[in-house]
Amino acid sequence: MGTRWEAGVHMKIADIAKNVIKSINEGDTLSTISLPASTFHEHTVKLASVLLNKKLGGIYVTTSRPSSHITAELEATKADLSDLYFVDLVSMTVGGNTTDPRTLFVESPTMLESILLNISLLERRLRAKRRFVMFDSVNGLSIYSDPKVLREFINVLGNSMRIKEIYSMLMTVTEQTDEDLSSALDLLSDRVIGD
Amino acid sequence: MAKSDVTKPISLDPRGGRPREKCMTYIDGVDRILNGGVPIGNIVLLAGTVGSGKTTLAMEFLINGAKNGETCCYISVTEPSSKMLSNLQTYGFFDDSLVKEGKLNIFDLTVINDRLGVERLDGTYTAKDMEALLGAFEDIVDELGITRLVIDSITAVCYQLPDKGSIRNFIFRLSQFLTTFGCTTMLISETIVDSNVQTYSIFGVEEAVADGVVLMGNIVRQGDLLRSLQVVKMRGTKHSRARHLIELTPVGLAVVPLLKWGQDGRQAFT
Repeated sequence: MGTRWEAGVHMKIADIAKNVIKSINEGDTLSTISLPASTFHEHTVKLASVLLNKKLGGIYVTTSRPSSHITAELEATKADLSDLYFVDLVSMTVGGNTTDPRTLFVESPTMLESILLNISLLERRLRAKRRFVMFDSVNGLSIYSDPKVLREFINVLGNSMRIKEIYSMLMTVTEQTDEDLSSALDLLSDRVIGD
Repeated sequence: MAKSDVTKPISLDPRGGRPREKCMTYIDGVDRILNGGVPIGNIVLLAGTVGSGKTTLAMEFLINGAKNGETCCYISVTEPSSKMLSNLQTYGFFDDSLVKEGKLNIFDLTVINDRLGVERLDGTYTAKDMEALLGAFEDIVDELGITRLVIDSITAVCYQLPDKGSIRNFIFRLSQFLTTFGCTTMLISETIVDSNVQTYSIFGVEEAVADGVVLMGNIVRQGDLLRSLQVVKMRGTKHSRARHLIELTPVGLAVVPLLKWGQDGRQAFT
């Protein structure tokens, strides 16, 4: 069972980042990070920025916003993007730009297995020894997938990342995560950070 | 008990015995499914519906073999080789020099037929034509030293044979000499899905003669088509029988296990 940190209190981004770094340093491989909707996007980008500036290489899986938007937001934080890649499940669905060389685009958010496959491909490109996968967000997938499929996918994703020994963060929006999903994530994760 | 006895690992392979030498496909995931590759000399029926990735998989099997120093051959039955070559240029894993160096040989069956004088107006081979064609295939494999062969498609060849007995005889004779030469072969079989049932071949004969059957298909998930791959049988090796997702990536085909809840349970195979 995962360990919940400071439940019920909105954590500041600095505290979340501190807990994530502690989790990495203590040898965890999988964390669930639960953030309120009001600060979700802002804090997710800031967290990625902190990790990149600590010289971790990363794969950012986006299910809720196009990768081009996230890149722009990360650039605004002056993050070092030289070892960051994206798996984008949004841009092809909405007819957005699909030419960015650092991004692998998935045709449809129902093609969950493609996420695993694309993470494997991008993992070979990462230069840093310490690496992370940021999955933004688990709730984004629940729009398109049946809860049974989603839970199976999370289980496969989590265990694949464990085998690869890449620190993975499953980002969830607190208000949108029901008890079933929450308990499945608790069970799978080494730690639950956030609200 | 001696220390060496204690630390000796126990083999968990229920088959035991000595494994056969394998022909690696070098396709990410496929060799893992096949426990190292296709046993050398096996005749594999690559059966699938339209757009399921049969030709791409077969081509990558040949190209990867050619890149590793083998001499490979593709016999095109359904489209001109020039068209096939121009399609190949679109694959990131293709390399022109393999064709120029004679590592990847592409033949048109219509050209072979013309040279043998077996092209019939009614499109049906006689027993003599069949012998001539088998002889031509044998010469190609023997003279060029082919170790990997693809016939695309065996279904189109079967349509030119008069009956099921002739189809069985043709494939059996083909497999006999290919196995003797140690040539690992993929015969592409075009299948259809009728009332949610996908067959392994149109004529129902090919799968019985082949050493292996690999089934490819399209799975519908909320209106989207996903390509799938499943090894139904493969003589001479243990293998996975689970259904996998197959996808064309910038570095070639890649395979991952299919989510169990994410497939249409109504589709069956026979």
